[in-house]
Amino acid sequence: MLGFSAAIAVFGASVTACVGVIGDADDGTGEAESLVLAAPALPRLTAEQYRNTLFDLFGPSMPKAPLEDDTKPFLFYNIGASSTTLSEFGVQQYEESADAITRYAFADPARRAALVGCEPAAPGDACVEGFLRRFGRRVLRRPLTSDELGRWVTVSQTLADPSAWEGLRLAVSGLLQSPFFLYRVEVGVADEASPGRRKLTGYEMATRLAFLLWNQAPDDALLDAAEKGELDEPEGVAVAAERLLDDPKARAAMQTFFRQYLDLGRIDGIQRDPAAYPYFTPTIADAMRREVELLVDDVVFESRGDARSIFSTRKTFVNADLAALYGVDAPGATPSTFVPVELPADGPRAGLLTLGAFLTMNAHETRTSPTARGKYVRERVLCLEVPAPPPGVDTTLDPPMGDPKTVREQMEAHRNNPACAACHQFMDPPGFLFEHFDSSGYYRTVFEGDLPIDSSGDLDGKPLANARELAAVLETEPRVGRCMVQQLYRHAQGRVETKGERLALEDLASRFESASFDFRTLLIELVTHDAFRHIGEEESP
Amino acid sequence: MKTTPLSRRTFLRGAVGGTAVALALPTLEAMLGARGAEAASTGPIFGVFFWGGGLPWHDGHGAPQAGHPDLWTPSTTGKEYTPSELLTPLAPFQPSVVTGLTPHTEVPDLPPGQSDGHMRGFMVAMTGDRIRPEGFDHPSHTLTALRPTLDQHVAKHSAFYGPEVPRFRSLVLGASNARFHDYGHWNAISYNGPDDLNPPIMNPGQLYDLLFGVAADTAGLKRRALLLDAVMEDAKSLSARVGAADKQRIEAHLDHLNQVKNRLDFSGEACAPPGKPAPSEDLITKTDIMASLLASALACNMTRVFSFMLSSPATTHVFSNLGVPNDFHATVHEGAWEHTRAGILYQMQAFAAFLARLQAVVEPTGGTLLDRALVFGLSEYGEGYQHSVAEMPCVLAGGANGKIRRNVHVRDPGGNWSKAHVTMLRGIGLETPSFGWNGGQTSEAFGDILV
Repeated sequence: MLGFSAAIAVFGASVTACVGVIGDADDGTGEAESLVLAAPALPRLTAEQYRNTLFDLFGPSMPKAPLEDDTKPFLFYNIGASSTTLSEFGVQQYEESADAITRYAFADPARRAALVGCEPAAPGDACVEGFLRRFGRRVLRRPLTSDELGRWVTVSQTLADPSAWEGLRLAVSGLLQSPFFLYRVEVGVADEASPGRRKLTGYEMATRLAFLLWNQAPDDALLDAAEKGELDEPEGVAVAAERLLDDPKARAAMQTFFRQYLDLGRIDGIQRDPAAYPYFTPTIADAMRREVELLVDDVVFESRGDARSIFSTRKTFVNADLAALYGVDAPGATPSTFVPVELPADGPRAGLLTLGAFLTMNAHETRTSPTARGKYVRERVLCLEVPAPPPGVDTTLDPPMGDPKTVREQMEAHRNNPACAACHQFMDPPGFLFEHFDSSGYYRTVFEGDLPIDSSGDLDGKPLANARELAAVLETEPRVGRCMVQQLYRHAQGRVETKGERLALEDLASRFESASFDFRTLLIELVTHDAFRHIGEEESP
Repeated sequence: MKTTPLSRRTFLRGAVGGTAVALALPTLEAMLGARGAEAASTGPIFGVFFWGGGLPWHDGHGAPQAGHPDLWTPSTTGKEYTPSELLTPLAPFQPSVVTGLTPHTEVPDLPPGQSDGHMRGFMVAMTGDRIRPEGFDHPSHTLTALRPTLDQHVAKHSAFYGPEVPRFRSLVLGASNARFHDYGHWNAISYNGPDDLNPPIMNPGQLYDLLFGVAADTAGLKRRALLLDAVMEDAKSLSARVGAADKQRIEAHLDHLNQVKNRLDFSGEACAPPGKPAPSEDLITKTDIMASLLASALACNMTRVFSFMLSSPATTHVFSNLGVPNDFHATVHEGAWEHTRAGILYQMQAFAAFLARLQAVVEPTGGTLLDRALVFGLSEYGEGYQHSVAEMPCVLAGGANGKIRRNVHVRDPGGNWSKAHVTMLRGIGLETPSFGWNGGQTSEAFGDILV
């Protein structure tokens, strides 16, 4: 809810100028700036977080019962998870999932012995209680209160039919349905040093760290660190974060973030007519998404270069399908093997905005969309806000009938009509830079009917000839780094930033810059920042 | 005949309080009691049938691409009207239709984009209100409802079920998996309130298991139901610790746990199950399968409310079987009228297949399920080329136990959408002095249709 109310000011501010900076609303009150944090967001675990967490506890061959689809307002599942209410059927699915997983874990004597580590002699005995205490800490991400431990031990006794094992199974099933497992609860403790905000407890910090950096709940080592007070100060948080970032789980988690920030979900289910787009194989959409993931992994974890370089680098990763689409040599590439390649210096491609995923998901089935591509540059790469067309505006282009017309000619209507031009002059000109790439991301030199392609356009009035020149601009564009900080912050907090957090965003952006835009350093700066280690006071009911 | 079980909550609270003793099984079973089979009902059934993409545009929609005939509006009005081309598939079921309706809700200027038919038309037709302006984000396609959609308004209306709530307050179903946007609100038509939606069950196997899958271990089911009391204790303890907005979410979770618990109690005594269906990706076949399972559930009173999303608002379903190359949203946007006509006609054929399943079930009273039902057929706007909310489709199929006149065409150009809501709600016996909000409110009903 907070995220949404915060966004209103953004929209209110942005409409007058057509383009405003997301989250940079200025209501003109000129109040003194200080860091004012929002109340905690109570995110529910996303389906991926739920599964990742339980894989660790029960092994990856556990049953994967269907769960309710997550939503991602403002791009992020974490925001949907803290604003959307779970449906009744969603609750039933949690019940069925917990029942199926615990049946799997407890049906086999060897498996349950390995999980529990002792053999209950009687319902609710020391073996059962010891296990529930230990296991409950992993599930609830904190020690159980004595009331809670008593509740689950009692369940394991009263429902011990036909055996103590069945009682324990049901107690575990109950823990997996507990809202304290399914929701990330943050209460914090009063912070005398900073009135108006509360400091997260060690266990709450462990949870925040693990869900951000691993996309799952904390492991025992992280909970131990919390217990010892090691997460109470920034130094200890940094040590813990470095350990998490050294683990392969962090790579998967960052790919999950980038997939949302770059809106790659839109590539799912994209179809192209193979007669018109021969390089668009049935598996290429998956390959396009994988390519971006590998590129992100390389920049963030392998080469640790300037994170902004994902929009300008000539390095990429292709399988056989993509090598054919791009027309590059890729020795060793097969339909399932990706290999690193250096795109030719004199070629048309450099950076993510010349790769298949961006070009395809921002195009129509049968023609390109300079508006969609330009809008992506504005919104996703630069975090600028493009509002919806004003009421009553005819948003439809003349259908492509009669004489062959280029998309650019059709879109002249946007420039000629003042109502459209106000916004389209911000979207279309950068979008035209990609006109050499068709709806499948294939490079073309002429349109159908041998019409020449004009890929000229501009960004903020700076004339550019094509997508390569845009990549060169983005290589050093300060707004690209700020946009990454802002999106990471939203993902980490599970809500849209508030005005009171502007200082934190600026602070993080300048630290990101000081670190030469090394994304891993940004992650450490974020998790040790006051804004990540504290929450605002809860709004009164 | 139902036995009255002892309060299970008392039972478990006592246990949690520290006085627990391990109960012998027979005692436990006695305390649980047994839920009787679903009682027979003759009450009205209310359902929603939604299709995406509106209608093929014509001059009445105000679209600039002029000259296309109106294939929807019947040429005659009143009783036994002459069905139009697109209504012909529905003719065997003698639906009443209202044409000319449009939203009367006011649209705030800010944030912009709220007049868009995908949002405005959909929300008015389903809730009688506008979308929630706060947080409306057109570029990211983020929107939410201000209040429950009509199916949930009915399902949760205290006068609809009274004290005898069946196993499901409502069933929320769908057919096409195509989605315009990877965001929940474009993939569900049923809301309980803001940011609180009911994603449809799309998979016939999943629906079958929900309705008829009975665990052999019925004692195990009862233990699962009992376990939820302990889970609810946790939910209550959490609810006391969070802020107002989150408290609502947790309270909803708690309420859902209670419903699921009731459902587990019912699960041992399901009706005679039909055969398990084979999956199909053909939209009409899939509709037929889902409707047949739904009809079985309605016949044994598992519920009396449903919604069925044949395709979602702004559907991207590709009707490749009809020779339509592009997704349907792009098809209507690009002005491909013939393809639009084909896609809508096909969806009307699916609607007919759906109604046929309800008509095929003859109840002990001698009437059919469709005689007892009122099925509200709608789409999100009048047409999708311009997103016009003029001339929105409105179908009232079924007799609502004789309270809705069948086979009547009412023509009401520019008429307030919510007159249809008032008509339907009164038709299923819910006292409705007025309906609609933010400029859309009305107390009028269509007297030619409402008995």
